[in-house]
Amino acid sequence: MSSHDQREPEAELGLLDATMIGMGAMIGAGIFVLTGLAAEISGPAALLVFLLNGVVTAFTGLSYAELASAVPKSGGGYAFVREVFDDFGSFIMGWMLWFAYMIAGALYALGFAPNFLELLHVYGVVAPPDQVGAVILPVVGIGVPAKFILAFVAVAGLVALNAASTAASGSAETVFTIIKVSILVVFVAFGFFSAGGGGETSFTFQNFDPLFPAGTGAFSILPAMGLTFIAFEGYDLITTVTEEVENPRENIPKAIFVSLAATVVVYLLVVTVAIGTLGAEELAAAGEAGIAAAATSFMPTGVPIIQNGGALIVFGAVFSTITALNAVVIASSRVAFSMGREGQLVQSIGQIHYRFGTPFVAVLLSAVVMLGSVFLPTQSAGNMSSLFFLLSFIIVNVAVIRLRQERPNMNRPYEIPYYPIPPILAIVLNAILAVVLIGFLIQTDLLALLLSVGWLGAGAVMYVALNKYRARGTTDEEGQTPTEQPVADRPREE
Amino acid sequence: MTQDIIIAGGGRVGFQTAELLAARDENVTIIEADENRIAEIADAWIATVIQGDASDPDILEEAGVGGADTIAALTELTGLNLAVCLLATQLADGIRTVARVDRETDGAYDRFVDAVVYPGEAGARVAANKTAGRGVQTLAAVTGNIEILEISVAEGAPAAGKTLADVSFPAGTLVISGADGSRILKPETTLTPGSQYVVAVEPGVVDEVLQLMRG
Repeated sequence: MSSHDQREPEAELGLLDATMIGMGAMIGAGIFVLTGLAAEISGPAALLVFLLNGVVTAFTGLSYAELASAVPKSGGGYAFVREVFDDFGSFIMGWMLWFAYMIAGALYALGFAPNFLELLHVYGVVAPPDQVGAVILPVVGIGVPAKFILAFVAVAGLVALNAASTAASGSAETVFTIIKVSILVVFVAFGFFSAGGGGETSFTFQNFDPLFPAGTGAFSILPAMGLTFIAFEGYDLITTVTEEVENPRENIPKAIFVSLAATVVVYLLVVTVAIGTLGAEELAAAGEAGIAAAATSFMPTGVPIIQNGGALIVFGAVFSTITALNAVVIASSRVAFSMGREGQLVQSIGQIHYRFGTPFVAVLLSAVVMLGSVFLPTQSAGNMSSLFFLLSFIIVNVAVIRLRQERPNMNRPYEIPYYPIPPILAIVLNAILAVVLIGFLIQTDLLALLLSVGWLGAGAVMYVALNKYRARGTTDEEGQTPTEQPVADRPREE
Repeated sequence: MTQDIIIAGGGRVGFQTAELLAARDENVTIIEADENRIAEIADAWIATVIQGDASDPDILEEAGVGGADTIAALTELTGLNLAVCLLATQLADGIRTVARVDRETDGAYDRFVDAVVYPGEAGARVAANKTAGRGVQTLAAVTGNIEILEISVAEGAPAAGKTLADVSFPAGTLVISGADGSRILKPETTLTPGSQYVVAVEPGVVDEVLQLMRG
């Protein structure tokens, strides 16, 4: 069947590709969607929020680097934890990581929608995003805001794409990321140049004074850190493609560090410009479209072809959110797929489709949760997915420590410097952020908290049910073995 | 589902066996003492490596002998290989053991280990077959990298019950015939669960083919 309907195997990825996958996942949507929300919580100190999150997440990055170099598995955090913890520990890790990615998908879709409306608005196709009315669904006859419809359509489209083809590969990601970063560089450059202009919306350091918001002060950065933590989850994504990376034991640690450092620099520049030009209050008011709003305020108009310079940045936001959405559609389904293959979810989730070659069932299941979640408020989605990334990163750091204790002689091509300080710091800092975030949720966002607890509860039920089913099924499986035995036993090679 | 396999000895036979098993998506851990060998294995990125002496019970525990499905002792020393297998049987109930021995023994070791690999056939493909011990067998006499596999289609696998034309195999796959070897398969042939098929596969896509046929 050599010429019949065959798929191409995936290409080898170099250090640049691996780095770009990490940067692409991080720079994707967090910065475009969450900057406005972070400014709402902590004012101009949003700058510190992104800086400190970069520092906190770097410790976990070290752990990922050590695990990725020592454990030759492509499943990301779940695969590493599976190596250390037996059943329940690794199950709950996979379960949480799966959820984190799915909710991140909803978050990116929710970030995509208002930016897309803004882009249409810039060209006069529709009214300003906040004035676009509800779309009346013809069948049910109720009005649904256009934003939700767009988010829903974006998720559904990418899910269909990924369910039916394996074409969305890593090398395209390199091009995507370069485009995104270039657009942000343009944004930063014009933002700083506008400092001399003296216009109302030009860059000024007065916008950073006072740094902290009046009521809550310096502590307000903690919940904002929790919310925006998701903007740094890209290294888990790098380790999900390790198998395709050449010389992984050197390139993966490098890719993790380079992408993290570059991302922090880009974030700091972008946030500085956004706050410096628009001011924290207006940025907060623009919400998910904060960066786009800032850009429209200072970018030159009358540019050939695109007319309004701000449109370029809005396009950047649309493009970033949609590519990041694609990345997490893939990532979430791969986590579920790995769990299925390891026997921690029902078998069919861990199987590829006989015709499409994709983890079909895993993609569809992830899609159900994502589509259900696009009706959440953006902030709830950000909170929940950050919370679950924080919790699963705690488990990854515990796994590093346990692996060092249980397997001291394991070959570790990359070793964490100053062990055990970095993983312990990572656990403590991630735990602090998680606790603060939970406290913040109790006060402001009970819905997100209840859904989070509900997901964990559903996981526990699923785990117990699956084990019961397995225990009953063992007799069946033993009955089947004789049919397979002949192949194994036949001494054909002797 | 993937098997956990420990290979004691990362020399030529051990390393190539690990490579073949890793290509089949099995979960492989290698025990090896020599640093240069370890560096080479780590570069290939096929298996977790534990540095140490496989006859040391602590090292075996570290390699996860307690939860492993199979241990294959493939060093050049028969005595060491047998010792490793016997140790493993003591440490872990029901673990399958495979030992490489240096002379034809006519079943003398059958009471102690589940399978032996002789020097005359000490190719890694034979070792991999005996180590994996189920559903998939590499037919040994092939030159080059292409794997000629005999695969038994598992019940409930994605390709089970589908015709060859319906299943889209990755590029680098050629389904040749049923195991009896009397028929070259046609597109309309159904892949029946429980039956065996001979498939030629390039090494990079073995895991995908097995995911389709074995689930």
